[in-house]
Amino acid sequence: MAVSSRPISVAAPRRLSVRAISNTVLLVIGMCFLLPLGWLVLASIDESASLVASVPGSVSGANFDAVLTTDQTFRPLWNSFVLSGGCALITVVAAVLAAYPLSRYRMRFNKPFMYGVLFGTGLPITAMMVPVYGLFVRLNLLDSLTGTVFFLAATSLPMAIWMMKNFMDSVPVSLEEAAWVDGASAMKALRTVVVPLMRPGIAVVFIFVFIQAWGNFFVPFVLLLSPEKQPAAVSIFTFFGQYGSVAYGQLAAFSLLYAAPVLVLYVLVSRLLGGSFTMAGAVKG
Amino acid sequence: MTTTLDTGPKVDPRPDGAPSRARSAGRTAGRLLPLGPALVLLALFMAGPVVWSFYGSFTDAALTGAAAQESSWIGLDNYTGLFSDPNFPKSVWLTVVFVVTSAIIGQNVLGLTLAMLMRQATGVVRAVVGTLVVTAWVLPEIVAAFAAYAFFHADGTLNEALGLVGLGGSNWLYDFPMLAVIIANIWRGAAFSMMVYAAALANLPPDVTEAATVDGASGPKRLMYVTLPMIRRSISTNFMLTTLMTLQVFTLIYVMTAGGPGTDSSTLPILAYQEAFSFGRVGYGTAIATIMLLIGAVFSIIYIRMLRPEVD
Amino acid sequence: MRLRVSVAVGMAASMVVMAGCGSDSDEAEGSGSDTLKVVYQKFGNFTQADEHFTQVKEDFEAEHDGVTVELVPIEAAQNDYFTKLALMHGSESTAPDVMYEDTFMIKSDVDAGYLLPLDDYLAEWDDWDQFYDNAKNAGVGDDGSTYGVPMGTDTRALWYNTELFEQAGISVPWEPQSWDDVLDTARTIQQELPDVIPLNVYSGKAMGEASSMQGFEMLLYGTEDRLYDEESQSWITGSQGFVDSLGFIQTIFDEGLAPSPQEALDPNLGNTVTGQWLPEGRLAIALDGSWQGGNWMESGEAPWPEWNDVMANAAMPTQNGQDPGAVSMSGGWTLAVGAGSKAPDLAFEFITMALDQENSRSYDVEASQIAVREDVAEDSEYIDANPSFEFFSEIVEFTHFRPATSDYPQISNEIQVAMESVMTGQQSPEEAAAAYDSAVERIVGADAVMSAG
Repeated sequence: MAVSSRPISVAAPRRLSVRAISNTVLLVIGMCFLLPLGWLVLASIDESASLVASVPGSVSGANFDAVLTTDQTFRPLWNSFVLSGGCALITVVAAVLAAYPLSRYRMRFNKPFMYGVLFGTGLPITAMMVPVYGLFVRLNLLDSLTGTVFFLAATSLPMAIWMMKNFMDSVPVSLEEAAWVDGASAMKALRTVVVPLMRPGIAVVFIFVFIQAWGNFFVPFVLLLSPEKQPAAVSIFTFFGQYGSVAYGQLAAFSLLYAAPVLVLYVLVSRLLGGSFTMAGAVKG
Repeated sequence: MTTTLDTGPKVDPRPDGAPSRARSAGRTAGRLLPLGPALVLLALFMAGPVVWSFYGSFTDAALTGAAAQESSWIGLDNYTGLFSDPNFPKSVWLTVVFVVTSAIIGQNVLGLTLAMLMRQATGVVRAVVGTLVVTAWVLPEIVAAFAAYAFFHADGTLNEALGLVGLGGSNWLYDFPMLAVIIANIWRGAAFSMMVYAAALANLPPDVTEAATVDGASGPKRLMYVTLPMIRRSISTNFMLTTLMTLQVFTLIYVMTAGGPGTDSSTLPILAYQEAFSFGRVGYGTAIATIMLLIGAVFSIIYIRMLRPEVD
Repeated sequence: MRLRVSVAVGMAASMVVMAGCGSDSDEAEGSGSDTLKVVYQKFGNFTQADEHFTQVKEDFEAEHDGVTVELVPIEAAQNDYFTKLALMHGSESTAPDVMYEDTFMIKSDVDAGYLLPLDDYLAEWDDWDQFYDNAKNAGVGDDGSTYGVPMGTDTRALWYNTELFEQAGISVPWEPQSWDDVLDTARTIQQELPDVIPLNVYSGKAMGEASSMQGFEMLLYGTEDRLYDEESQSWITGSQGFVDSLGFIQTIFDEGLAPSPQEALDPNLGNTVTGQWLPEGRLAIALDGSWQGGNWMESGEAPWPEWNDVMANAAMPTQNGQDPGAVSMSGGWTLAVGAGSKAPDLAFEFITMALDQENSRSYDVEASQIAVREDVAEDSEYIDANPSFEFFSEIVEFTHFRPATSDYPQISNEIQVAMESVMTGQQSPEEAAAAYDSAVERIVGADAVMSAG
C-alpha cells in the first residue's frame, strides 16, 4: 500500500508505533462489529434457536440441512444473482458513460441534470410501486426477469451516476490529453485511460448497486409473479410463520448462505483491486 | 483531484470562443450522447411513475375501499391532514435526529476513521476488520435487523457483554429506542463510508501528505488542512448518499422497535408504510414520501453550499 | 465520436430487444375463458393453501377437459399480500378469477369493485346449507350480497398451564365466569408463584392487530358495548364498555399480573409467548388464538410434544358473566370470485370443489382451522386431528367478527394507542377513551360516529 511507497526516513520507529496503535484500534472496532453477528452464527447451529444469543447445547447441522434445497435456497440465490448482477452491470456501464460528459465538459446542461439526478437519488421507491406495476402491465414486462433487471438498474442509476461522476472528477484530464494527442477518440480515452484509473471507484459503485439489488424485497416481489423467479430476498419470508412465528435457526442458517455470495464478491473485488490502489496513487504527480 | 478539476484544463471550457452557435450546439449534442442509455432508462422507468406519485399525493388514492375504484382530487387535504397530526412533527424530528446522528456523524466519522487506520494497519488486521465491517453491510436488511434486535434485546448479547465487565445493562429497545436504532444503523452502514473514503484516499497523490509531513504538520493538522480539503468532494458526496440512504431505512427500525414504544422511534418511512400499506391509503402515503424527498433535498442543498461552491 | 454513437445506439437497441423478451411471460397475458387464475397466499410455514389448491387443480382439470387452472401463490406477509392482490385487481390482464380473501377485507374490496356477488350461484348450491350462519355472514358485503365462501375460521380463548395451576393450588378444569374470576386467579398465581407471569393479554402498538383483536376486542365484546353499529353503519364512541375494557388492561399492568410494559411492547412478543414462555412454564394464562396448538404440533414452528397434557382451554367470560356467558372473536378466510373474471361460472365451480365436504375437512385439519361446515365439525376425523379443535369449535357460537370496513385498520391502530397509554400509565382509561373518541371522529368524520351516551 501507500506506506511502502514512502521513502524510509528517520521516522521509522514512530511509524511502527503508529501501526501498532492503528492495529489495536481497528481490532477493537472489529470486535464491536463482530458481536451482533454472533447471534447469527450461534442460532444457525442451534436447533431450538430463539432471538436470545446462547451457546447451543449441541452443534447441529439440522438448520442447514433443512434449508439447503433447490426451492428454498439454490434457485432463489441464482435468481438473486441474475437480478443483482444484471442490474449492477447495466448500471455501471450506463453510469460510466453518463458520468463522462458530465465530468469532462462544462455545459449549461450539467447543473440542472446533476440536481435532477440528486433529486432522483432520494426517491422512495416503495411509494412508486403502484404506478410502476401499471407501467409494467402496459409494457407487457410483468413477471419478466429482464424487465425487473432494467427497472432495478433505473432505480439505482441516479446514485450511481452521482458517485461515478465524483470518482471520475478525481482522474486528471491531463492523462487523457496524451491519448488525444495520439489521435484517440473520447470514447477510446475513456476506455483505455479513465476507466482503468478509476477501477476502485467503479468497484465501489458495482458492489454498492449489487448489494442494494441483492437485498431488495419489494421490487421483485411486486414485478414478478412466478414463485420460481423470485430471489432470495423474497424467499427468506419462508421462515416467517402465518401468525408471526419465526423459525430463527433456519432463518439464521439461510441468512449466512444468503450473505456469503456478496461477501465473496467483496473479497474478490478488493483482492483484484489490491494492485491498482497503489497504481492509482503512483500515476499522479 | 478537486483542484485539477476546478481550474482544470478543460478541453473546451465554454463556447465563448466558439466559431458558430450551430456548430457548438451540434458538438454539445454529440458530447451528450453517452448520456443516452442512462436517460432512456430513467425516462422509461422513472419519469412516469414519479409524476404519477406526486399527482397521487393530491388524491385519495387507496388500495381498497371505494376510493380504489375511482380516486378523486382532494387538493392539499393529505398535506393539511399531515400537519394537523401531532405524530407528524415528532416523526420529522426523529427522522432528522436519526439521519444526523447515524449517517452524518456516525457512519461518516467511523467510516473515515476506519479508512485512515486501514492505511496504517497490517495486512491481516486490515483484511479481518474490513471483512467484519463489510459483513454487517452486505447482510440483507431484514437479517441485519434481527441480528441487531438480538444484540440489543434485554437478554441479548450487549447486556451479557456489559455484565462481564461489571456494568449494568438496560432494556435498550424500550428505554433508549432511538439510541439502539441509531447505533444499529451506524453498525450496518459504516462499511459504505469506509469504502468511499478508502477509494478517495487511495486516489490522493502521496506527495501532498509527504510535503505536509516534511513541513512538520502534525497528524490532526494534516488531517484538517490537507487531507480533508482534498477529499471534500468525496465527503460531500458521501454525506449526501448516506443521508439519502438513511432517510429510507425502514426494515431495521420496524423489526427492532416497530416504531415504538408509542411513537418514540417512528421515523417517516415507518409512518409512510403504515399509511400506505397497513391502512391502504396510497395518496396519504405518497404525501409523506414527498415530504421525505423535500427533507432529502434540504440536506443535499446544505452539503452543496457547505462543501462545494458549485456543481459542475 | 462514432464509437460513442454506436455504444449509445447499441444500448438502446438492446433495450428494445430486452423489452421484447418480456413477452415470454405467459402470466402477463390475459386469461382466456378456459384458464382460471387462482391467487392465494403462501407464507412461511403456511403452505397448506398451496398444497390444497395444487390438489384441487389436478382434480378440477381432470373433470373439465380443456380447462387450465393457473396457480399464483404469493409469498408474502399479510400487508404485502393485500398490496399485491390489490395491484393485480387493478389491471385486467392480471385480475384473478378465484382468490383467497380475508373475511376482513371483503367489505372494502367490494367497495373497490374487486369482487363478484355470488348470491345466484349459492342459491343453487346444496352444500351452502351446511355452512354455519355466522360464518356465512363474514362473507357478506355492505349491500347484503354474499361475496365469499368461508374456508375455515379461528377463535380466541384462554390457554392455561395446568401444571402451574396445580402448583398454585387452583383446581382444574378452570372455568372463570367473569372478568373478576380471571383477575382473582391471576392474583392467586402472583402470590403462590412469584416467578411466573400470571396473565398475558396482548396490548399496545408493538403487537399490532393481535392487541386489538386477541386483547381489546375479546374484552369489549364481553361488555354491553361494541365498536361499530352495523345498522346505522357508524362507529360507537363514549361507551362504558370501552372504558371498562381499558380498565381491565390498567388493572393487570398496574398490579403486575401482566408482563412488564417493556416485555409487552416488544414487537416479537408473540414468538416469545408461543416458543418460550408457555412451554417453559413462565406464563400461566394466555388470551390467545385457536392456532396455538398447531404451532406446538410436530409439524409446527415450535414443537412441544407435551403441549396437550400441560395446556388446557377456558372460554373468555363476559364482563360480569352476563349472557351468553362467554365471548370469542373470529377472523378467517374465504374464496371469492374476481369481478373481472371472464369465466365466473367456472370460477364458482372451482370454489364448490375446493370447499366441498372432503376438501374443507382436509384443509381445516392441515391449516389448524376451525370448521365452518357442520358436516366437517362433526366429523370424527376432523375432531381427532387436533385435540384443541373440539373446544375451539364449541365457542364458535359465542364468536364475533371485527367491523370489516376500510376504516378499521386505522381505528384498530387507535385502539392500540389507547391501550398503550393506559398500560404505561400515561393516561387513565377515561382519558384514553376520550382520546380514542376524538381520533375516531377525525378518521371517519362526525357523520359516521354515534355516541353510546
